[in-house]
Amino acid sequence: MNAMRRTVVLLAGLGLFLLPQFLPLEGLSAAGALTLGLFLAAGLFWVFEPIPIYATSLLVIGAQLLFLSKDAPLVAAFSFPYPAQEAVASSRFMGTLAHPILILFLGGFMLAEAASKYGVEKGLTRMMLAPFGRKPSHVLLGLMLATATLSAFMSNTATTAMMITVIAPIIAVLAPEDRFRVALALAIPTAANLGGMATPIGTPPNAVALGALASQGTLIPFSTWMALAVPLTVVSLALAWWLLLKLYPAREKEIALDLTGRFDRSRPALLLYAVGGLTVVLWLTEALHGVPSTLTAFIPIALLPALGVIGKKEIRNLSWEVLWLVGGGISLGNSLQDTGLANWMINLVNWGSLGPVAILSGFTILSILLANFLSHTVTTALLVPIAISLGTSGVLGGAGSVAFIAIGVALASSFGMSLPISTPPNAIAIATGMVTTPQMARVGVVMAVAGFFITLLAALFFWPLILSQ
Amino acid sequence: MKTELVILCVDDEPGVLDAVVRDLAPFESGFRVEAANSAAEARALVAGLPARHRALALVLCDHRMPDETGTDFLIALNRDAATKPARKVLLTAQAGHEDTIRALNLGGLDHYIAKPWTPEALRAVVREQLTSYVLERQLDPLPYLALLDTARLTEALGRRNPGDE
Repeated sequence: MNAMRRTVVLLAGLGLFLLPQFLPLEGLSAAGALTLGLFLAAGLFWVFEPIPIYATSLLVIGAQLLFLSKDAPLVAAFSFPYPAQEAVASSRFMGTLAHPILILFLGGFMLAEAASKYGVEKGLTRMMLAPFGRKPSHVLLGLMLATATLSAFMSNTATTAMMITVIAPIIAVLAPEDRFRVALALAIPTAANLGGMATPIGTPPNAVALGALASQGTLIPFSTWMALAVPLTVVSLALAWWLLLKLYPAREKEIALDLTGRFDRSRPALLLYAVGGLTVVLWLTEALHGVPSTLTAFIPIALLPALGVIGKKEIRNLSWEVLWLVGGGISLGNSLQDTGLANWMINLVNWGSLGPVAILSGFTILSILLANFLSHTVTTALLVPIAISLGTSGVLGGAGSVAFIAIGVALASSFGMSLPISTPPNAIAIATGMVTTPQMARVGVVMAVAGFFITLLAALFFWPLILSQ
Repeated sequence: MKTELVILCVDDEPGVLDAVVRDLAPFESGFRVEAANSAAEARALVAGLPARHRALALVLCDHRMPDETGTDFLIALNRDAATKPARKVLLTAQAGHEDTIRALNLGGLDHYIAKPWTPEALRAVVREQLTSYVLERQLDPLPYLALLDTARLTEALGRRNPGDE
């Protein structure tokens, strides 16, 4: 972004922040007006990125401390614009940086970092691909399943980067005019995006939805999330596989995979297998034993550094900025609820006349649309607080509707993958030169449309079977 | 403004210089290939790079040249903070033991290609050296993914874990 444009956006953000403070907004408290300004400015910054999206998140928390907390200078000293008793403790805002959902993610990050240090993901890939043989359609399926499985536990981006190195040698030996190259190159980011939906730690939008729900007192166990989301991943993966084979069929009868990568047998690697295995098993069986996944996540956090499996270098490598990005989103969402702003915004529209299906459809479409152009996390951070308020207001009716709309928004964002800018896995695939933007868009648009129906149908007919609060 | 990366070829024999530049044509979609007939000309070229938002990424230099040897030129580049990070390759038939050792110890030599070279081998070296440059300088690997070593660059991408999903 050039300096001129950045200045304009920054000034516009400042203007948007100040605007609600001077407008007579009936029914909105002073704290609500401040939060509205913050929401508008943060939204603008997240969309146009005059500063990095994590920087906006941190700015949000800073602004909340400055204007909305008990310790805010104006509030504390002059009871302006509202008495200190009405303000919340600053720990409410700072605490989001250690929100249990972020701890869950931190645990996931540490396992993924340790896994990449010892090459575990390469060994797992080899293990998962071996049964699929050499027939191109089977190889493609194996690649997509392996990618989706890994990206359910690692970041979609890291998984894509790793799997691109797996397919690069295959693509290199295929004839340049063999369209199967495109199928292979598109399979990786597509499967990585879809795999991210499968677990709470699969991709940051999931954390935003879970964090917002947790703030509302709705705790979704790890295994329950998987029961809700894995079928969506499986169905959309099957569709993507069929679509890729249809659009870009293979010419060769057989393709060979070079499956190198052995499991490390050193002491720290064995310790990692034990800690990682225990953590994942406890996550998957949460419904049986009831230990919250956020607590389980502290097993790798506490043990991996203590056992010397990871050190300072790996800890510095963790994507702290992702945690802060999500933390800022959760914190902003909290203020939207706390100050009554979300309810006030919802009352602007007569939702009752729309009906639950129309509202669910609207949010799902909006999420998929925005996610094609914005970061999926930002999309979720902007939509989920409003979606949750709608759910609690009762217009959606029915049990579990709060969770459905929030989870629906988060999962729908993962279907935003028709452009290189939609999400980093797509950017990587395009940058390899193995696939063009129109080819990506073709598959992405179909997946977006399918994603809408899959999410909506799940929310209406499937999820109520699993989650009936 | 985005900095454009420059590959600089230095050789006093015009025929050789042309051949090197021709062999590097595939890199022109992502890099700027510059040619110089002498160390002096090369130096002037390098001095003008920052003003044009360009940075020296790789030097492919002959050793034996009339006024100043390639080794001395590389040593000078290596002493200047602005050009120290550039990857340095000698492309020569006649660098003696002594000179090669000096190029290694003082010139920060990264690779030695003996003449005559094959275009494939030359491109492979250039690809590896430029990949190392992009990684060492921690540049965004995405623009270079297709042109350079995809495996090494994507691995770095995965490690850096850009999580703005």
